[in-house]
Amino acid sequence: MAIEFERVNYEYQAFDGKAYLALADVNLSINLEGEFIALVGETGSGKSTLAQHMNALLTPTQGRVRMFGLTISRDTTRDKHVKLNPIRQKVGLVFQFPEYQLFEETVLKDITFGPRNYGVSEEEATARAKKAIHTVGLDSSYLERSPFSLSGGEKKRVSIAGILAMEPSVLVLDEPTSGLDPLGRKALLEVFKNIHEQEGKSVMLITHDMDAVYEYAKRVLVMREGNVVYDGAPSQLFTRRNIRVWNLDVPDVLKVTFALKDRFNLEVPGLPRNRRELLEAMREVLA
Amino acid sequence: MAYIEIENLSFAYDNKTTALQDVSLSVEQGEWVSILGHNGSGKSTLSKLLVGLLRPKSGSIRVDGFELSEDTLADIRRRIGIVFQNPDNQFVGVTVRDDIAFGLENLCIPREEMIERIEEYSKKVDMFDYLNKEPQQLSGGQKQRVAIAGVLAMRTDVILFDEATSMLDPEGRSRLLQDMKRLNEEGGTIITITHDMRDAVHSDRIVLLKNGGVLADDSARNILGDKELLEQASLELLLPLELMHTLQAEGLGDDTLREYLWQLSLNG
Ligand SMILES: Nc1ncnc2c1ncn2[C@@H]1O[C@H](COP(=O)(O)OP(=O)(O)OP(=O)(O)O)[C@@H](O)[C@H]1O
Ligand SMILES: Nc1ncnc2c1ncn2[C@@H]1O[C@H](COP(=O)(O)OP(=O)(O)OP(=O)(O)O)[C@@H](O)[C@H]1O
Ligand SMILES: [Mg+2]
Ligand SMILES: [Mg+2]
Repeated sequence: MAIEFERVNYEYQAFDGKAYLALADVNLSINLEGEFIALVGETGSGKSTLAQHMNALLTPTQGRVRMFGLTISRDTTRDKHVKLNPIRQKVGLVFQFPEYQLFEETVLKDITFGPRNYGVSEEEATARAKKAIHTVGLDSSYLERSPFSLSGGEKKRVSIAGILAMEPSVLVLDEPTSGLDPLGRKALLEVFKNIHEQEGKSVMLITHDMDAVYEYAKRVLVMREGNVVYDGAPSQLFTRRNIRVWNLDVPDVLKVTFALKDRFNLEVPGLPRNRRELLEAMREVLA
Repeated sequence: MAYIEIENLSFAYDNKTTALQDVSLSVEQGEWVSILGHNGSGKSTLSKLLVGLLRPKSGSIRVDGFELSEDTLADIRRRIGIVFQNPDNQFVGVTVRDDIAFGLENLCIPREEMIERIEEYSKKVDMFDYLNKEPQQLSGGQKQRVAIAGVLAMRTDVILFDEATSMLDPEGRSRLLQDMKRLNEEGGTIITITHDMRDAVHSDRIVLLKNGGVLADDSARNILGDKELLEQASLELLLPLELMHTLQAEGLGDDTLREYLWQLSLNG
């Protein structure tokens, strides 16, 4: 089972009547299970637009997206027989701007809104909210607060909690760690990794954080001007490609590894994926 | 007297929680100061107090000799430009062009010069082709760039960036850091609020906030290398410095290697 993009174009309609092509002939297949994908690319390349096709918030101007036995195209939204609502429960989308996701009086109501909307009992939804708020690193006193009276990072955490509480089959996360403090960033990346590993669910992470891409993703998609221009392994991307043309950068862990090699001829075995691995490799080499 | 003097500043949004508690700090003209701290530590609250968007519960703020009050608000806002954390809160204009123009109109910049500056700064952030678009119809990073251009164009003495690099791509982030460096070299005062330790490397001084209070205020070098302090503040060491600390603790590597790791960390 997969989410399949077939020749998908998407045009935004500007108020001056001009159309802007944000997705151009995207062909893509994403398995519902077992994937950890990083979606990267320069500012304005179409990442958020693609993410919103993953749960049919946007529907293609041309082409099709197939998922859960449905074919979604330009005409889908006009056809009353096609129910898109279940898709939004199955594919949980965390927005780039948490403000677009928060609207209730209290954080509790906000987090329980999703599950309640998909038929979960109030009791169960409240239990999920309590669990989720904890998962995102906030204590339960936040449940009574207004989502509009929170700091930027706190809003971001609440918006993530709301999606986790829906227990979707697939997680699509649009820059979920921007605005989080370093500890929160690390803790939440581990949360996503655990959901992926323990529940076998697919995760798609949009980010500009190259170290996160390199450490967590199994597959990277690079976008540029509405096209997917790379689809492959992170290690290949960061070691074999001229990634500056895509406004990307080499992860810090690799920069340091390469710098030590150049300067001291310190050759560490394999390529460390994170700080811990680099440290262990250094210990071995220096001992 | 320093250019910005904040004394015993306290603030609460409601009677339950205190967002800032007895904060004192100063910023010299031409200095580059980073403000770091966990989510909810009071960073954005401090920046809003600085330009009179919030009123202190107690304490005082002085900018370029002006004590912040109803009467001096306009003088202070001519001196400090802020790029807010959420660019959506910054937009007032119908188009990107109007938006950049808005801040300039407030400064009573003549029309001719306004047009020049709009062109110069929209080009600087690579948004010249988008001047006729609506700010709401932009991607996250494009919104952030427009908000940055609007404030840069005002050429205020002080610019405060509240997580202004958080949604930029690596290239855009590095270009903005270059711009900040240049402004600072030309005598501008820069304050950056950030969660990216690599941004803080470029500043002269770092102020750490924790639970609404100042946990530490010291040179960037002293703070970046202080493992325990950073842990207390929910921050992490830069990668080369973590490597340096661990190797040192285990008696591995020599001084040359350690010094080299220091240098690497300063690249940001
Ligand atoms: N509502 C809209 N109306 C018109 N054009 C839009 C709209 N939203 C986005 N665009 C345009 O579509 C393109 C793709 O936008 P998108 O938000 O998908 O980019 P992105 O890759 O997520 O960028 P970022 O990294 O900055 O978030 C951009 O050039 C943007 O200007
Ligand atoms: N409008 C508001 N009403 C009530 N409380 C608020 C409001 N805005 C912020 N707070 C609270 O004040 C404290 C400080 O918030 P502030 O936005 O200054 O934090 P911050 O350091 O900027 O955090 P972040 O890194 O998440 O942006 C937080 O505990 C927050 O919950
Ligand atoms: Mg985006
Ligand atoms: Mg803030």
